[in-house]
Amino acid sequence: MEEQLVIEQTTAGVRTSTPTIHTDATAKWFLISSVSYFFIVGIVAITIAAKFVWPELMGTVSILTYGRLRPLHVNGMLFGWLLACDMGLTFYIVPRLCGVKLWSEKLGCATAALWNVIILGAVIELLAGRNQGLEYAELPTELDILVVIAWVMYGTNIMMTIGTRKYQQMYVSLWYIMGTILWTPFVYITGNFATMFATGVNQANLNWMYVHNAVGLIFTPIGLGIAYYFIPRTSNAPLHSHRLSMIGFWSLAFVYVWTGAHHMLHGPISQWLQTIAIAFSVMLLIPVWTVVYNFFATMKGQWDKVRNNVSLKFLMSGVVFYLLTCFQGPMHSLRTVNAIVSKTDWIPGHAHMALLGCFSFFAIAGTYHVLPRAFNTKLYSDTLANWSYSFFMIGGLGFFVCLWLGGFWQGWQWNNPSIPFIDTVVALKPIWIVRFFSGVVMFAGITTFLYNFMATIVNAEGVKKGQNA
Amino acid sequence: MLKNVDLDAKIFVIAALVLFFVGGTLTTVAPPLIDKSWGKPFENSDPSKGLTGKLLPYTAQEKRGLAIYTREGCWYCHTQQTRTLLADTKRSGWRGVDAPVSTPDEFVYDQPHMFGTKRTGPDLSHVGGKYDTQWHRTHFRNPRDLVPGSVMPPFPWIVDNEEEFQALVAYLQRLGRAKNWRPDNDYEK
Repeated sequence: MEEQLVIEQTTAGVRTSTPTIHTDATAKWFLISSVSYFFIVGIVAITIAAKFVWPELMGTVSILTYGRLRPLHVNGMLFGWLLACDMGLTFYIVPRLCGVKLWSEKLGCATAALWNVIILGAVIELLAGRNQGLEYAELPTELDILVVIAWVMYGTNIMMTIGTRKYQQMYVSLWYIMGTILWTPFVYITGNFATMFATGVNQANLNWMYVHNAVGLIFTPIGLGIAYYFIPRTSNAPLHSHRLSMIGFWSLAFVYVWTGAHHMLHGPISQWLQTIAIAFSVMLLIPVWTVVYNFFATMKGQWDKVRNNVSLKFLMSGVVFYLLTCFQGPMHSLRTVNAIVSKTDWIPGHAHMALLGCFSFFAIAGTYHVLPRAFNTKLYSDTLANWSYSFFMIGGLGFFVCLWLGGFWQGWQWNNPSIPFIDTVVALKPIWIVRFFSGVVMFAGITTFLYNFMATIVNAEGVKKGQNA
Repeated sequence: MLKNVDLDAKIFVIAALVLFFVGGTLTTVAPPLIDKSWGKPFENSDPSKGLTGKLLPYTAQEKRGLAIYTREGCWYCHTQQTRTLLADTKRSGWRGVDAPVSTPDEFVYDQPHMFGTKRTGPDLSHVGGKYDTQWHRTHFRNPRDLVPGSVMPPFPWIVDNEEEFQALVAYLQRLGRAKNWRPDNDYEK
């Protein structure tokens, strides 16, 4: 019976006899800006990949040096692209799951505007070298304050929408989105404000709590909330198990926050804290495997639909990458494995599989699904969308696999102190060339995605004008 | 209970926050209260208890150096931790002497901390006193002049600004010097 309810809700707003009219203005603005940043920051991404191959490239211009562009790449992708896109998608999903209009489109559009101010401010400040020196928390304080304000605006809007919902039972996507809204301020304040009052190892511990939970309690729950909506929606199949999704959610809520110290295994931080972090990191397999099983079981007998639906291609590939990246994570936290892979090029391979391979794939899938519906039109080109999938998949796999091989090899070399350090750098050069070209292929994916996205909107506007005339 | 959480947003909010704060408090607020070495600067004058030395607060110039190190993103490619791995102590070592393993009490004054997560270049936790000022000048101007095969970017705008260059070198020369780990005290200036 529960399952029945759930599928009824996921299809709500589309099939109900008294349809709620959604204007989706906020969702549209968030999607347009995030997809644009995806492209712009993609240029930064290939530039820094190129700098590994040609270290002199643009090397004498201070604002274009690696140390200035890397935080721009990381923050631009995290906050300019992925989080903004996820927020845009939730502005689309939540009103539909609640069977009501968004609480306030005005507040939503103001949030989108403020978010753009933050991202543009970040570009200027980071290129100028105004960097706080903490990973993922590079943005200077004035922008941090704006982020918190924007988040409160976003959270209020979504929570008020849920508060006025027509269906009593909350579908699992709503829990994940609410979880994200609740945890993010605390995670963000720990990483960006509490760290200002701590030094040394204490500060590092707060920093890693933030870094880990920026992924674990922000990007993971919002991303899974999106996948929980779009997988049943695009495959038109009910979610396999409501109970399993509850186990997945509450084990995530309990386990994730404990694991920050696994970023400093073997490092100068108390051994017992490392052991706690390891134990909880291994427990992460519980929320991950329950979620992945639930998604796969939902697809049982439906796999043929993947062939003809580009959103479903991105979604199910994302689920496979989620399974892989979250198997790597707990394994890295084991001391023996960590002694080899930690600090090597393996790590960016792992991080990109989580944020690009999994959560960006979910966001792209959602965007492809929402775009024609929000603009009341058809996608400009399905062929181009399939091309973008191939580019992302081939580029992504090239990127992940070459960095794993290279990183593992590098880790072994480091553990043999008779090999001079510079030789371990030179050994990685072929890997960095493959990474650069994989990046170019991924950028082709971004470009086709952006073009398809913008062409769809331009067409929709053209049709609207035609009707008016 | 699970059913209530599912139907009532208030119970949901409370449960989600309680779980978060239990883990959050026990892993961030509690550890520095339990392990005092996180906040107490290293100091030892008794050779029978291990390496001697004292962690000094940053001078104004060293602090400026740390700010430049932060601004240029040096920490994206250089870690500052000699881990409890044999290879790390050998790689951070110098002239046949292994470096001691990094301990929390050596980093008490670091704001921001510079432990790092990625090691594209060598670890710098014990770089202080390994190379002299002239070496750093040449190296910052173009790293490949001294280390063929290096992928480090050149930093001519630092070398051309004597105040910034001196500050950065002062910062680098203090790294790993709280403990007197070199028997002959053979530090370069």
